[in-house]
This record gives sequence, C-alpha cells and structure tokens, in this order.
Amino acid sequence: MLTRAQLLEPLARHRTNEVVVTTMSVTRPWGRLSDHDLDFASADSAMGHAADLALGIALARPKRTVVCLNGDGSMLMTLGTLATVAGVAATNLVLIVVDNGTYEITGSQPVPAAGSIDYAAMAEATGFPRVFRFDDPREYVEAVPDILTTPGPTLVHVRVERGSEGPIGRSIEEPARYLRVSLAEWSRTLRDALAADLS
Amino acid sequence: MRLVTVTREGEAFAIASGLWLGGARPLVVIQNTGLLESGDSIRGTAVRMAAPIPILITGRGYGKMAGARLTPDDLRTSELLTRADVDSTALLTEPTLHAWGVPFERCQGDQDPASALARTIESARSEQRPRAVIVARALN
Repeated sequence: MLTRAQLLEPLARHRTNEVVVTTMSVTRPWGRLSDHDLDFASADSAMGHAADLALGIALARPKRTVVCLNGDGSMLMTLGTLATVAGVAATNLVLIVVDNGTYEITGSQPVPAAGSIDYAAMAEATGFPRVFRFDDPREYVEAVPDILTTPGPTLVHVRVERGSEGPIGRSIEEPARYLRVSLAEWSRTLRDALAADLS
Repeated sequence: MRLVTVTREGEAFAIASGLWLGGARPLVVIQNTGLLESGDSIRGTAVRMAAPIPILITGRGYGKMAGARLTPDDLRTSELLTRADVDSTALLTEPTLHAWGVPFERCQGDQDPASALARTIESARSEQRPRAVIVARALN
C-alpha cells in the first residue's frame, strides 16, 4: 500500500505538459505539489464525473496526455466510463484509480466491496490495452515514466492508505491557484492555456 | 463532426464539458428521460463551469400530454403523475430545466427544429452557458 506522497510525488516529478485532472481526496494533496495552468480540480463539481470530464479533454486534445487522478468511490459511480474510454480508444488518457476504500471527503464511509475490487481487471475487460496494479511504492516509481509516455488508454489501480482530507473551500487558504477561484473561472484559465498551445 | 456515444446520460455532460475545455464545440443530443438522469452532472459540470453547451432534447411523452389535453404548465399533482394515460417524463422536463438554471426553447407543432437548434447554439455561445431546445412536435 502507498502513502499519498508516494503516489503523487513521482507523478509531480515526471509531469511535463500533461493536463492533470484531480478529484475528491487527492485534490488538495496534489495542489500542495503542483500549481500549474494545466491542473484542473474536478471538485466542488459533479460526483463521480472526473474521468469522463478528463476523457472530453483528451478527445479534444489528442496529442496531449491527460492524467485523471480519480477516486475508487468516484470510479464506482461511473463504471460505464471505462467502456466509453475503451470505445473511443482515447490513447492519450491515463486514468489512475486512487483506491483508499472510502468516501474520504464525506467522512470516510466505506466504499461497497472495499479492498476486493480489481479495477485493472475491469478496465482490461472493457478493452483497455494497458492496465497496472500497484501495492508496492518501488514498483510504482519505476513505472511512472512509462505510464506517462506510452499510448493507452491506460488504467492504473493504486492502493493507498486512508486519510482525512475534507472538501476544498475555493478560498485563499487553499494551496494552489486553481483551488482558490471558482470552477467557472479556472475553466477559462485551462481553456486559454490549452488554446495557447495547439498540441 | 464526431459522435461520442456514452453508457449513461450523465456522462454526456461531463464529456461535453471536457471537450469544451479542450477547445471543441460539443452538442449534447439526449432524450428528456436521460436528461432527468443527468442532474448532478449537468449541475456540477456544464452549469457550474458556465460552459456554452447546446442541448438538443427529444421530448418523450409530449404526445400523451397532448392526447390527455394537458400542457407543460399543468400542476404536477400525484394524481397526474401516476395516471396511466400520462407520461410523467414530459410533465417534469421543463420544471427540472427551470430548477437547474438551464434556459430552453420548446419546438412544437410545425415549428422548424433546425432553426430552433441554430438559435440555441448561438444563444449558448453568446451567453456562455448551457441552453436547451426541446423537440416536442406532438404538442400543438
């Protein structure tokens, strides 16, 4: 099992110009590591819809890698999105399921069948050509460069320790610019950043 | 134009919002039954992001509404919502769009759906928000 730092710090080190969409309990921890124009918090937003939102960006920008740090509870809410991603063969989408077994930001209620769901197997069954499972931080660190650069669609199932993050407040106390302003305002920032580069 | 099919309607609004973030010009095509399924998705993505997404809604139940001599403005009582000759989907579509803050136009009778859709696309872009057109041609 990984700590949140063991999950996020290697990603932040290897990230170059990827769009990174976060949701739920990894949103603020990622914000402590990254304050990039291409970060987007699908928080204070729609429940369980980070992966499909990330898919939309990936389809509009096929030459740019889009990484989605999704929760296990969020993934369960929209499992059908796995089929949608596979169906459109979004080769530039990396979907990371951060499995802490709980709905952490609403009080850590347990996710149904916590600990026994194999998200990589689910993705493989829908047609994802690349899937990974990580319980060991060393194996994960070694794989991150390949995960970010080899065409997918890719699903990465990572088991992480439980935490106690609450929902973001979109206020000055938050650690990154994109967590301090409204979803509508940051949407235009990200859109402008992507428009400035036609890749 | 590219068609993206989804597994459940709520996905459509999140994908469309992501497409817009990436610089594309999405159009959501959906039946009103699926629209009702999409509540938190449309609220939390398209509306919350002020994404100019036009929505083309095909109107299930408007024919029954006309047959029962009802209108979209009729009070949604339990008696009405449970009647065998009434499809509650049509009765609930427009109040729900009002509640979600999504302006819409109803295209009924002999009105031209293409013109209504063109107006909806233009309004969504000029107002920078989602807007809908309901195709309910069975209603005169």
